[in-house]
Amino acid sequence: MGRNASIKRFSTASAGQPLELFESKRSRLPVIVELLASPWIVRASELTRRDGSCAAKHAEESVDVAWDGAHQLPSSFVREGRVYRIDAIVQMWAAERVWWDPRRRVSRRFWRVLSRGGVYDLAYDRTRDSWLLIGIQD
Amino acid sequence: MSSGFVHLHVHSQFSFMDGAASLSGLVARAAELEMPALALTDHQGMSGSIRFYQACRKAGIAPILGCEVVVETAGILGEEGDLPPEKRLVLPASVGFGRASASGYHLTLLVRDFGGYRNLCRLLSKTHLRGPHEPSVVTLRDLETYSEGLIGMSGCGNGEAARAVLARAPGRAREALRRLAGCFAPGDFYVELIHPLTSDGPRLVGGLVTLADELALPVVATNNVHYLRSEDHRIHDVLSSAGARTSLPGPYDRPNAELSLKPASEMRRLFEGLPRACDATLEIAARCRLELPLGQFHFPSAEIPKEETPYSVLAKESWRGLEQRYQPMTPEAISRLQHELTLIDSMGFSEYFLVVKEIVDFAKSKGIRCSGRGSAGDSIVSYALGITDADPIRYDLLFERFLNPARRQMPDIDVDFDSARRDEIIDFIYKRFGHEHVAMVATVNTMTARSAVRVVARSLGLPIAEVNRLSRHLPWVSAHKIREVLATYPECAHHPLRDEHSWGMLLDLAEQLDHCPMHLGTHLGGFIITRDPISSWMPLQWAAKGTVVSQYDKDDIEALGLVKMDILGLRMHSAISEAVELARERMGEDAVPEPFDLVPDDPRVFEQVASADTVGMFQLESSGQRNLSTRLKSSTFEDIIAQISLFRPGPLEAEMITPFIRRRHGLEPVEVPHEGMREVLADSYGIIVYQEQVLLVARAVAGFDLAEADSLRRAMTKGRSREEMERIRGHFLERALARGVDSGVAAEVFRQLEGFAAYGFNKAHAACFAVVSYASAWLRTYYPAEFAAAILNHEPMGFYSARLVVNDARRHGIEIAPPHVNASKARYSIERDGAAIRVGLADVHRMTARLLAAVESEQAVRPFRDLADFLRRTRAELPAAESLIRVGALDGLGITEAGRPPTRDELLALLPEIKAVLAREGVAGDDTLCLAPAPVRPAEDSSHVSGWSAARRVSAELELTGLSLTAHPLSLAAGDLEELGVTWARDLRALPDRTRVRVAGVRERAQTPRTRSGKRTCFLTLEDPTGLLDVVVFSDALERSGEVIVKHRAYLIDGTLQNNCERGLAIVADVVKPYVVRTGSGDRVRLRRGVPSGPMGPALGGAGAPEEESWEAAEAALAAEERGEYGGRGG
Repeated sequence: MGRNASIKRFSTASAGQPLELFESKRSRLPVIVELLASPWIVRASELTRRDGSCAAKHAEESVDVAWDGAHQLPSSFVREGRVYRIDAIVQMWAAERVWWDPRRRVSRRFWRVLSRGGVYDLAYDRTRDSWLLIGIQD
Repeated sequence: MSSGFVHLHVHSQFSFMDGAASLSGLVARAAELEMPALALTDHQGMSGSIRFYQACRKAGIAPILGCEVVVETAGILGEEGDLPPEKRLVLPASVGFGRASASGYHLTLLVRDFGGYRNLCRLLSKTHLRGPHEPSVVTLRDLETYSEGLIGMSGCGNGEAARAVLARAPGRAREALRRLAGCFAPGDFYVELIHPLTSDGPRLVGGLVTLADELALPVVATNNVHYLRSEDHRIHDVLSSAGARTSLPGPYDRPNAELSLKPASEMRRLFEGLPRACDATLEIAARCRLELPLGQFHFPSAEIPKEETPYSVLAKESWRGLEQRYQPMTPEAISRLQHELTLIDSMGFSEYFLVVKEIVDFAKSKGIRCSGRGSAGDSIVSYALGITDADPIRYDLLFERFLNPARRQMPDIDVDFDSARRDEIIDFIYKRFGHEHVAMVATVNTMTARSAVRVVARSLGLPIAEVNRLSRHLPWVSAHKIREVLATYPECAHHPLRDEHSWGMLLDLAEQLDHCPMHLGTHLGGFIITRDPISSWMPLQWAAKGTVVSQYDKDDIEALGLVKMDILGLRMHSAISEAVELARERMGEDAVPEPFDLVPDDPRVFEQVASADTVGMFQLESSGQRNLSTRLKSSTFEDIIAQISLFRPGPLEAEMITPFIRRRHGLEPVEVPHEGMREVLADSYGIIVYQEQVLLVARAVAGFDLAEADSLRRAMTKGRSREEMERIRGHFLERALARGVDSGVAAEVFRQLEGFAAYGFNKAHAACFAVVSYASAWLRTYYPAEFAAAILNHEPMGFYSARLVVNDARRHGIEIAPPHVNASKARYSIERDGAAIRVGLADVHRMTARLLAAVESEQAVRPFRDLADFLRRTRAELPAAESLIRVGALDGLGITEAGRPPTRDELLALLPEIKAVLAREGVAGDDTLCLAPAPVRPAEDSSHVSGWSAARRVSAELELTGLSLTAHPLSLAAGDLEELGVTWARDLRALPDRTRVRVAGVRERAQTPRTRSGKRTCFLTLEDPTGLLDVVVFSDALERSGEVIVKHRAYLIDGTLQNNCERGLAIVADVVKPYVVRTGSGDRVRLRRGVPSGPMGPALGGAGAPEEESWEAAEAALAAEERGEYGGRGG
């Protein structure tokens, strides 16, 4: 079925059905991943408020991250004592900015991950050698 | 599924200021990553293509040539600006170099085959040459016309489709892709996917894939490579911001360091869900099978009459020329010509000789002085055709050194023309061969320490004054040596860059920019002439001067087998022509013979050369040559050839000079290991000085024929391995032993060949130069005033400044008449029957061409009476008039109430008032101006008409003309210098060797050439009122005095005199101290503008290049650097 196969396979419930759209987490995950990857869907992280700030929740707090060396990806993180197992990596990106000014230099690698039904942005800060949770999206 | 990947979108340093990867680095990295192929897609051009092609082939990688062009808008009708503002996309920043730069959407093009290569060259040339002021943007129409053999990719994030997707305008992206794809054959256009690990990367990739699927277009993954490894992104940021003349982060504000040459596995992981995009790179690489026809020759067409062949015409012309050159004709000349013609014909070079002859014949028909040079002088055909002027038989010049039948290489005949009339030759070439068949050769200007520091400092946003402070006084060295130089060079002892804490990062970055191509320049005289339209061979673009220049440099052109001719301007030819003209004006047309036709045997001329009185003489005037003159005591033309050949980096490094001179003067015996060498090395006292002699020795000892011997010479000179050398040695010994030569003797001969072959100089080249040298020496001997005036009219040229040429003429009893509005023309002229030179007005600071013409035309009417008369009749601009007054060009004009002419101060005070009155009254009122002069300070020297002191007059002359016209600055301080115990230059020769001396001089040159020991030695050329001083500052003294040399203009030097026939005359300095020039009355003479200070220069003027040419090039490069002409910007 090509691209977005999970979305295409999803069978909509008839009117009057209960609110559960998915039978299980297992069936929900691929659909969410495909939706997140869709270029035509605008997410909260990309919306701005009237004051110019991001519509998603912003945070910058240190977290502990378990690293999956085999796949070179984070596998879970711990926030406020609670373990968040990473269900899927939604996106990865990197930033190298203001390298010429040691005080303002930014050198980070980011992972937008799906965990516990939410989308979280994790960052590894190379200058501080530490993991940060920098946003809770959507 | 395959696991490989080929990078198809790669920028190198040839994207000029938007690519940090060197070609060699790219190829080596691709080989390391085991990539089967690699593409090169620089912005708007292909300057790196040929060397990339060769490097890839050598590394076993398939080269894919291409280019990233700027293409017109395809997704909408009309221009971007026609849309309402909210619908416009932001255009990417400008990319490309110089006039080939443009801003617009990017499109990547790859060459599939040779037809595609030609089409890409045509497309780029057409785009860049559309009009001098038209932007270099590829039109869709041209793209469609020239797309055969090309593969198109929709471009990086700056492609129109990508930009539209990011701007959430899928309709526009779809239309752009549809129209762009329509320009290519089906299957030849790909949607380019780049995932640079930015937050909107997945959306970009997803959007483009969706569109590609809709339009049934294939997708391909690239990484828009701009640097080799991610840590190199800093250099890329620096380059792009300096190129766009902004400070960091530069015009693109690149968010990360992901545009590196990533391994296949990493690229595959980036496009994990889209393996077909990575597979497509391999498919494209398999389709791109370009074979450039390197190693073949493509000559332009000569004019061949019907029923003739190039060979028949060449033979006829050569025999005709031989009859004129050899009277009486000799059997040797006949057999030599026959031999050469046969070889030329067998190699297929007849047409090339005829083309060169056509150009030389044109020059001669117009009276434009010219002379061939280089190894072409080894050919009797060149001599017979009038291309060169040194007799190859008389001077033992060997054709095989020029054209070796065993190695079919492109012949290279360089011709120097009168620089003042070079444009006429260029016009002829364009008319004769057609504008579509001629272009200038490019040069690639690369970064040195100084430019690298400036680039980094500017990108860091430092103010220009700080940039200047950091780069000033940096020696001319490679950028990777900056730290070493700062730590060890005495003149850098207080350089601000030594503060590692403040400038450590700047130095790190600057070091990495070593030899990074900065911009394309235009070769001084290199022209490409082709039979097919030149744009089918290489991309062309406009040069800054408005001429059409190739994007390839001379090596690329040679590799393509195309003809490059060096139409070089030689100012010495201009000076010789003018000197002859001036002499004939004075002495009559028949009184002065043509100096090139003279038999070179005049003892008076050789006497001047031998006494080192050579200022102005071609190739014989430098301080090193003057030193050599006194040691060599040249007395024949052959000696001049030797003198030119010996003072070259090679012979200097091999220390050939001392044994040569000792043997010449009988201080040591002439010894050769094999008797056969005695005859062939007779001219050089048993020492191998010339490359031609290597051939003769190999023939005499081992029985090589000349072609074999030349191959041996080449093998010995090219960077050879120990094994290869052993193989050559074995071959030589075997051949020698077979002829009965003793093995020890053969081994010794080989040792000498090995030692000298790498350093020997081309005798033909020296002989061609010697013809010009002798002509200049003869003119200087018999017409010194005319010769000096001619030199001054064609400055800058030669080794010395105009100031020194003027002083030298004065020392020879020629009066230097200062510039005057009633006596001077624009140029230097001769007065008093050759006893005086009148300084031209053109050399006065701030003179304009209009004013010069006005002065000359008014002089013809009547002399100027006073300042008002001068201003009224010439309408002189205020700054120029002020300069003329200050330099004394209006001295003695007019009369004041005191019954004397006004002083310069009075004239300066009157100047604005008279200008104001003239402005009010226009041209009316002929000589009615009568103004009370403004109060001025009393005259400093009432005995001089100017009222100025001697110090002030000389300072003004130096400031406004760069010359000391009335006196040498140090002559004004003669009393003080004598009190200090200074010995004058003229008296040094009479002192014995090793005398302790103190000398004083004004700086003329400070050079630090390469020395064999590797230690740094400064050769200072100074001038005092009586002559030139050559001072050697060895490393220990340089350690103490380096900073003084760099920062001051006049010096007091204590040292030991060296005065012997083996080493010549020089002062070995112990201490160099600054000297402030003051007259007896305490007035200071300001040398500032006339005597520039600055870093100690490198040894410019390498073998083969006329000194002036290389200095000119170096100065032009420096000026370009000062102007900050980096050219390119990129995206």
